[in-house]
Amino acid sequence: MRPEISGVEMGENAARDEMDHGNEATLLRATLENMSQGVAMYDARHRLVIWNQLFRDYLDMPDEFLGTEHTFSDYIRYLGERGEFGDVDIEVALAQRLKQLETHHRFERTRPDGTVLEVRRDPVPGGGFIAIYTDITERKQAETKLREAKEAAESASRVKSAFLANMSHELRTPLNAIIGYSEILSEDAADEGNTAMVADLDKIQAAGKHLLGLINDILDLSKIEAGRMDVYLEQVFLSRMVEEVKTIVGPMMTKNANEFVIDCPVDIGTLRTDLTKLKQSLINLLSNAAKFTKQGTVTLRISRVTQVDGCGTVRFDVTDSGIGMSEEQMGRLFQAFTQADSSTTRNFGGTGLGLTITKHFAAMLGGAISVASEPGKGSTFTIELPAETRAAAADGSTGAVLDPGAPAEPGAITVLVVDDDPAVHEVLAATLGKEGYILRHARDGVEALNIMRADPPDLVTLDVMMPKIDGWSVLGIMKSEPALEHIPVIMLTIVDDRNLGYSLGASEYMTKPIDRQRLIALIHKFAPGSEEGVVLVVDDDPQVRALVRQTIESVGLHVAEAADGAEALAWLDAHRPPSLVLLDLMMPVMDGFTFLAQARAVPKFAELPIVVLTAKELTDHERDFLARNTLLILNKSAQPIGTLGAALAHIASHNR
Amino acid sequence: MTKILLVEDNEMNRDMLSRRLSRNGFEVVIAVNGQEGVDLALAEKPALILMDMSLPVLDGWEATRRVKANPETAGIPVIALTAHAMAKDRDDAMAAGCDEFDTKPVEMPRLLGKIRALLGLPD
Repeated sequence: MRPEISGVEMGENAARDEMDHGNEATLLRATLENMSQGVAMYDARHRLVIWNQLFRDYLDMPDEFLGTEHTFSDYIRYLGERGEFGDVDIEVALAQRLKQLETHHRFERTRPDGTVLEVRRDPVPGGGFIAIYTDITERKQAETKLREAKEAAESASRVKSAFLANMSHELRTPLNAIIGYSEILSEDAADEGNTAMVADLDKIQAAGKHLLGLINDILDLSKIEAGRMDVYLEQVFLSRMVEEVKTIVGPMMTKNANEFVIDCPVDIGTLRTDLTKLKQSLINLLSNAAKFTKQGTVTLRISRVTQVDGCGTVRFDVTDSGIGMSEEQMGRLFQAFTQADSSTTRNFGGTGLGLTITKHFAAMLGGAISVASEPGKGSTFTIELPAETRAAAADGSTGAVLDPGAPAEPGAITVLVVDDDPAVHEVLAATLGKEGYILRHARDGVEALNIMRADPPDLVTLDVMMPKIDGWSVLGIMKSEPALEHIPVIMLTIVDDRNLGYSLGASEYMTKPIDRQRLIALIHKFAPGSEEGVVLVVDDDPQVRALVRQTIESVGLHVAEAADGAEALAWLDAHRPPSLVLLDLMMPVMDGFTFLAQARAVPKFAELPIVVLTAKELTDHERDFLARNTLLILNKSAQPIGTLGAALAHIASHNR
Repeated sequence: MTKILLVEDNEMNRDMLSRRLSRNGFEVVIAVNGQEGVDLALAEKPALILMDMSLPVLDGWEATRRVKANPETAGIPVIALTAHAMAKDRDDAMAAGCDEFDTKPVEMPRLLGKIRALLGLPD
């Protein structure tokens, strides 16, 4: 037993040089005692040779255990018997610790009195090891408190959001009745020629609509602040959007006898953005302009601008000849619940939330809003959005971005492998995994769909023959869900070598009745930017052709029609290749299958994008044919990997 | 008279909309849930269906899918009515097979415009 509170045990050789080393030993002791950690050093035979006071305190180690008489195993057994490690088999705990001693390791241990120790043990050169104990009780408590606070805050936020969503529904339902019935009564009164009552009923109606606007604004803002406002990107036809905006703001303009001027080039084209949010933003700005301008002019100007850094933007300027604002008023403009002047609320109404919401929306769409104004000289509000919108979340918000078509980051392409054969998973993991693709695995269709819905992958490889539901059904379900329909699918099936390879020309098919939105999306996918492009519509039903023609022409493309496969081949022979072919399968004279096979045989049509239009139910024969002609087909039994890798890269870049 | 099937579970909304449709010269048939909507679409063969989306028994999306899956009723245009003015809701309704989409509270001139356009009636 030693009198010192800390010890430096020395071997016989060392004792001979004690005089020389006395100074060093004192220094070492001082160092050890001034450390904020418990330190214990064991020699090659696991005997305690160096320790400090904190080590003794942390473990409540009795003095008789300190020193070379006992080994590490003795301490562990002693501590275990004392109940230090809880209700465990001491020999098992010891064996585990002895094994760990061979390497650097670190763990946390909660002692019976609640203190938390971080224990680090490191082997030292020449045998033995050093153990360092840190009391992390306070840190742990702080972490727990922080986590609890965070969970409480999140829970409160969830409750608040749910409350607001429910509340807004509860508020809107009676409000709908107030607005609706006052409208009905107003129509009745008008029929009876009771103009005085019409005026009063219209006031009820207007007040109801105003209240509805307030509720919607508050709900929007609370959603933005809770990070629950989703951005939904789609291809927006700007001139069409302007027409819609015009219909809505037109009556507001006439109210104050303002002239509404739209300055938008006819060839302004499209912008990939969130239509609802952009529209709402413009309506907010335009209704403000209409409100603060009397017998003046309000102008909406849309233009494409190329920035100095070469990035394109689309600029929306809303200019009015109204009352204008001072610098100071402009400074408060975008804050919630404030208008430029509190008296404006009395004079002009409004929630004071419109500009705040608009500012958030602009940020969520990757752009910004700015204002220029002078008192008495009118104002110009400008929203500038990037021509290529990569959705950005608003400041501080984490709104989910629903963009099924969004490109993956290079080198981070997620591939979901759906196959009931474990060998396929292994082969793909070994090859694609090495290429840097992130692989995820599903053993059947149900599991695959669950994974896709939870977190859509960039690509899916799909086996055809699987238990539960087969690959075609999975494909069908994917194509019917907006969140999944854009995910490129590669069918993996067993086919003979001569069919090995892929024909990407028709990596899509559509079901009837035709969904207009989806058709437009497909056209943009396969014929991007080709304003003069021609879409060849091959269908024996003139009604279908007319319907499709209408949709295609509405986006500014031309249409050529063919009533069967033979007519389509003749058209292809006589014209330049179209941007896209929409192909019905069941047709007289020459059906779609034959057309596909024949068109396929001509080299210049190998890359021709063909979208097959089908009834929802395919026969086995049709499925088989589609399997061979419209989707990527690979032979699992052959050597698919090189082809698959190339195909993946191709589709990934195509999809980008 | 042109027959419109209105599928709506909220009594006041149903009352308001049916009265205003009648006033505008339509014959209105009422269903109070999605299943009744599907049944009446088949039995009554209306010229057009106005379909609320949040409905009991069978929701509006599923009811629309069933109407569109039956060859006897597939040709009837369906206008989805929903309180949620979200692009996602619009797309979901379109994906279910709806031909048009409108948000509640209903603005009568706008809704009438859509009904007339789908039925090829003059304004």
